[in-house]
Amino acid sequence: MTTGQRNYRELDDKVVLYPHNYINDIEGEKLEDMCEVFLGKGLKKFVIDFSDTEIINSIGISILIGIIERIRCAGGTILFSGLKKVNLDIFRIVGLTNVIQVHPTEVEAVDEMKRAGGGLLGK
Amino acid sequence: MKNKAIFNICPDGEFFGRSMEIDYVFARGTEVQKHTPNIYLSGNRWMGKTEVLRRVHRKLFWGQASVVPVYYQFRGGQSVSAFAEDFIKETAKQYMAFMLRNPELARVEVSLDKLERLVEENAEETELPGIVRRHREAREARDLTAELRNAVGAPALLSLNSSAPVFLMLDDLDAADRITSPSDGPEAGGELAGALVSGNFSFIAASLTASSLTTGLVKGHIETLELTGLKEEEAVSMLLELSRQYHLETSSEVLVQAARKLGGNPMYLKNLIWAAHRAGRDIMDIRDLADLYSGELVAGNTGFALGGAIRLNGLNDLRVLHAACTAYGSTSEEELKDRFRYGHEELKDMLSSFATMALVTNTLGSIKWAGDGVMRDYIIYMYETRLKGKSPEEVKTRLVRDMLKESFSSRGEEVRGRFKEEVSQLVSTFDGNMAQKVFFDHPSFASKYKDGLLRAVEGGEAGDIRLPHVVGCFDARRLEVGEAGQPVFIAHGFQNDRYDAGNEVAWLICVKEAITPVNIGDVENFLRRAAFLRENFRSIRVIRWMVGMEGFTEEAARRLSKEGVYSTDTVQLGMLRGALNAAPGTKRKGGGAVLGQAKEFEIVLPGSSKSELVAARAAEEIGTEMGFDDNAIGQIRAALVEACINAFEHSRTKSSKVHLKFIADNDRLTINVQNGGSGPGARGLKRAIARAGRMPQKRGWGVELMKGLMDEVRFEELVEGTRIVLVKYLAGKRSGEV
Repeated sequence: MTTGQRNYRELDDKVVLYPHNYINDIEGEKLEDMCEVFLGKGLKKFVIDFSDTEIINSIGISILIGIIERIRCAGGTILFSGLKKVNLDIFRIVGLTNVIQVHPTEVEAVDEMKRAGGGLLGK
Repeated sequence: MKNKAIFNICPDGEFFGRSMEIDYVFARGTEVQKHTPNIYLSGNRWMGKTEVLRRVHRKLFWGQASVVPVYYQFRGGQSVSAFAEDFIKETAKQYMAFMLRNPELARVEVSLDKLERLVEENAEETELPGIVRRHREAREARDLTAELRNAVGAPALLSLNSSAPVFLMLDDLDAADRITSPSDGPEAGGELAGALVSGNFSFIAASLTASSLTTGLVKGHIETLELTGLKEEEAVSMLLELSRQYHLETSSEVLVQAARKLGGNPMYLKNLIWAAHRAGRDIMDIRDLADLYSGELVAGNTGFALGGAIRLNGLNDLRVLHAACTAYGSTSEEELKDRFRYGHEELKDMLSSFATMALVTNTLGSIKWAGDGVMRDYIIYMYETRLKGKSPEEVKTRLVRDMLKESFSSRGEEVRGRFKEEVSQLVSTFDGNMAQKVFFDHPSFASKYKDGLLRAVEGGEAGDIRLPHVVGCFDARRLEVGEAGQPVFIAHGFQNDRYDAGNEVAWLICVKEAITPVNIGDVENFLRRAAFLRENFRSIRVIRWMVGMEGFTEEAARRLSKEGVYSTDTVQLGMLRGALNAAPGTKRKGGGAVLGQAKEFEIVLPGSSKSELVAARAAEEIGTEMGFDDNAIGQIRAALVEACINAFEHSRTKSSKVHLKFIADNDRLTINVQNGGSGPGARGLKRAIARAGRMPQKRGWGVELMKGLMDEVRFEELVEGTRIVLVKYLAGKRSGEV
């Protein structure tokens, strides 16, 4: 069953989050809050799809790192998808691509999550 | 009514700065689950500690529900029993007021009987009825220890048995040492310290000095937050705003002097403006300021407040205090004993009393003045009038005279420092560019420059010199101890775009900042010192350059020319700067081809949320026009967003604007991002490092991102702020390929 609104989509035991086009402190914290809500509901498989995200600033990066840590700490898994080239460059500079899987599209990320089950604790 | 302060605070229109401290303490107060250290708020008299605590209390009262804020201001001279009852009353009233969202409960004066009824009616389920009952029992049994322990233990008991623990805010903590107790009775300070370090609740304690109690606390798990004077910009903003409120005309330059003289102390600043208002006098020049200041000190609110705060037990106190505040550096107990023939105990008592008032510090017998400049002037005024028999008018005249001299000298220092800094900044932008040789040859320049115009230099590239890529500038003083003469600094770098030993170069730069031109004596002095200095750079090329703010005498210019020393005056320097900075399109790099005219765009960003996106949008438009591809534009936008955030973050004031200049050249886009603050630039920023296979660090990525996304990133410290320079080359056009 698929339920959802414009900034997230629940797919059975998974949730796909769609952040804003500019991830700064405010948008980052909104994303963080959404993750907390879904973790609270017992969902532990997350995909963050950045297809609509043009710019991620360094504060946004720090919040994303916190989100990854939080989800993993709760025994969950998280994948990224849909990154624009510049945002992928940014993730490479900070070393995030070494610790998280990045997929070209949301569909591929969700398929990978289905395929790997609970075995996606790192890259 | 919501948001109204429970305790008196000054009107918002008269309160300036401190928002960072208030936000910080508020955030820390609500972090009850994180076991963060408690806070010791220190600061000199009238710096606004009480105001900060009360404003945090208001914010905690109305803005959150995770802790119960309890504010308590100590009063010296209370008995232990009176303190215990007062503390319990305040704790109980404020606890109930917060729980019932009824601020009136905190303000009401109550007897113990009435308090008992109130807690029974309003807080039956809490520990409060038991605390109040035990207090009555202990009081009736005349058990001072039980009274005291029950009182100071109340916050812990309330916290342990509630989902919302107490956040205790103790004001004027040093007065706790003056709570009186019978010789065999309990010691309030010790009991309180024991309760505070128990760890059952969080607290912030403010005091003027690190008294025995606070010293004991500081040894524990506590963070010290020092409240110093308002920053110069904040103090000037405050003076401007108050002047506006009181319809006073002011000169911003004089207000800067006032802010410095008053050390950013909010009370002194307010008093000055009130004094001007009372006298109906604008603050337009330094004389206005000096008159108002001295009047305030002698017979105004500031003098009155200082008179109350500096408690003198006779003229001997005044003698010692005067000696301490006028001593160069510090004095000593021995010196004071010899000078004034006081006994050891007498002097010890005096110094202890001064230390309690935060006027001196006594470290192993070394006595150092700890008050501020205004207090020093007040002590001098008292000393001169009471002990030297001078009239107040006479001392006032001296204060005005000293202030005028001080201001004149301070302005002179600024001008002197500014010129040398300008030269140093210009050198850091040499960046391997070509420049006309005439900018470094004063006699030649003088023959070609007329009526503001420089006649065309014939001979094309033969008239140019290649400037080095400067990697660092430093003062030569370390290398020439004891030398007199004009300051020399050394710019170390590489030439010809090659970073190898054969192209290493050192520029020895002598700057004369004076109202007279460089004369032959200056030149001989520099030539001699340069000969010694070049010994430090034996294997590399050394260039000597003299810069004269007021030019050169003919004889000096001839000698420099003969010796092959570069010579530049202010006009040449300005034109060189113009060639290097204002129009990079005219720069000639690698081969010296003249590029087309650069286009410049300027934007000023307000300090508001997401204003960096305006900059990003502008970069997109300009970059597209220049022919950058989408990815490069994305990189420029992301780097520029980081630079703007950095500039805002390190601005001196929250309202600071950030100035952007886009320079669109044939081969590159250069973006200057400048704030009006004292940002740390690259040096002060925490830099993160990506570690393979491990989770990256959370913060400090701004600089790394800028560097990773742009071709060049530079941080330049300016007189009035910091500039970040971002450069992106068009693909295939780097290194002067046109």
